[in-house]
Amino acid sequence: MNSIFVNSKNVFLDIVNAKDYIQLDQVSTIYQALKDSIKKPLKMILLYGKPGTGKSMFLNKLYKDLSSTQKVYLYQTPILDESEFYKTLAQDLFETKYSGELNFTQFMKIVESKKTEDIPVVLLDEAQLYSEVLMEKIRLLSDTRTVKFVITLHKTEKEDIIAKEHFQTRIWETIELENASSIELKIYIQKKLMKANCFDSANMFTNKAVNKIHKITNGNYRDTNKLLYTLFELYESYESSNHHRAIRTNNISNKIIEMSAIHTGLIDA
Amino acid sequence: MLNITDLEKRWIRYKVKFYIPHLSIFISLSVILSIFFSFSNNTQEPNDIPHVVKEEPLLVASKESKIKVTPVPISKQETRVIHSTKKVKLSPSLDFMKKMQNSIQPYYNNEVSNKPYTVQKVQKVEAPKIEVVEKEKVLIPEYIPPVKVKKISIKRQNTQNDIYEIITRFKKNNNPALSLFVAKKYYELGDYQQAYNYALITNKINMEIESSWIIFTKSLVKLGKRDKAISTLKKYIKQSHSSGARILLDEIYAGRFK
Repeated sequence: MNSIFVNSKNVFLDIVNAKDYIQLDQVSTIYQALKDSIKKPLKMILLYGKPGTGKSMFLNKLYKDLSSTQKVYLYQTPILDESEFYKTLAQDLFETKYSGELNFTQFMKIVESKKTEDIPVVLLDEAQLYSEVLMEKIRLLSDTRTVKFVITLHKTEKEDIIAKEHFQTRIWETIELENASSIELKIYIQKKLMKANCFDSANMFTNKAVNKIHKITNGNYRDTNKLLYTLFELYESYESSNHHRAIRTNNISNKIIEMSAIHTGLIDA
Repeated sequence: MLNITDLEKRWIRYKVKFYIPHLSIFISLSVILSIFFSFSNNTQEPNDIPHVVKEEPLLVASKESKIKVTPVPISKQETRVIHSTKKVKLSPSLDFMKKMQNSIQPYYNNEVSNKPYTVQKVQKVEAPKIEVVEKEKVLIPEYIPPVKVKKISIKRQNTQNDIYEIITRFKKNNNPALSLFVAKKYYELGDYQQAYNYALITNKINMEIESSWIIFTKSLVKLGKRDKAISTLKKYIKQSHSSGARILLDEIYAGRFK
């Protein structure tokens, strides 16, 4: 039988799954804005933010929610080869299999021939990995209004330039995702644990402990997941080595948080 | 499974590293504060000193003002001063005599000044000098020391008339200091016979005054009675072992004193 620490640890495995999406006030508002934007006749929607702010989770949640009502295609890993990219889109969006090389002109002919009223939505994660040439082609494709794109970008200086130079005139909606505040982080942690029926673990997170975690992770969801995974692993280790008397289990101590941060590299010791 | 012991060690190192800057800031702040307070204490001390200094002149002024404003204590103080000046006033007269001796016989300065007869003189000379002071009472009630007055009055006694005054005073109180003074004065003026007489009188009153015996023998030499002077000196040396008399005897023998 797994202890509560093992179950709690597994809650914070860094896996992008729409089922694990946690409804937070700010995130809900942004998500609703994104859903509304997709209904509008926009060419392109840009979702950007620092790594670990939940962009991938957003796209997954959006894909899960929209897939039942309209044509949505999610590409979590970028297809870097241009021909491969066109061939994949032609097959998924227009159910056209193409053998051999497919260039942009040939693909545009397919798009025009298969034009429908139900405009497909293509969700591209990690768009900063696409080449500038391919991004230019995606821009031209979105101009035809036959395909709607939602792309996510890491917010860096270089990616800002890409966004400005290639997409600024085409992007109708930009949504920025930010790190969680201390209160949001507490809700995030507790909701996540309670979703997995780890109520005892959820009660261990006092405001003081969450503030400490927030100070270390800066409210970044990915870092928080990583830290809390290690934290419960530590509790598990104390428990299995019969040293659990040395630690408090009614609340999370700063010492354990700091030890977890040291182990994960969030604190330079 | 995580290595708890290793992680705990790393955590302790982290905490030490974390508190080092806090500790250093605290220590530096405490050092700065201690230096600041020590400086502030030092700067306060000089402020205290002027207060004290200021108070002292105030006290002095108050004393002075008391003397000036209240007449009764002044009169008491004056009488006290007069009594004290009676004693003090006599000592300058001796100084004067010493000066006189210096001008005549430079070798006997120390011996003459060390003589105890000054006390006797003080008692006997008091009476005439009190009169002088009493005259001055009205004129100088507070500040003028009577010493200056005496010196001035004694310096006037360089004339023959002054010698007579002292002779009359000697006749009244029979003070050997006065007769010795007269003898020295006569010797200085070249009246060796009178010098011999007054030295003889002095020796009769007090046989232990060395300078009197020296004036006596010197006068004898000057009067041409060298042998008598030598025999007198020898007798005196036998009794008193006076070095001054011995030096004079040697000089007479050597012919340096004629």
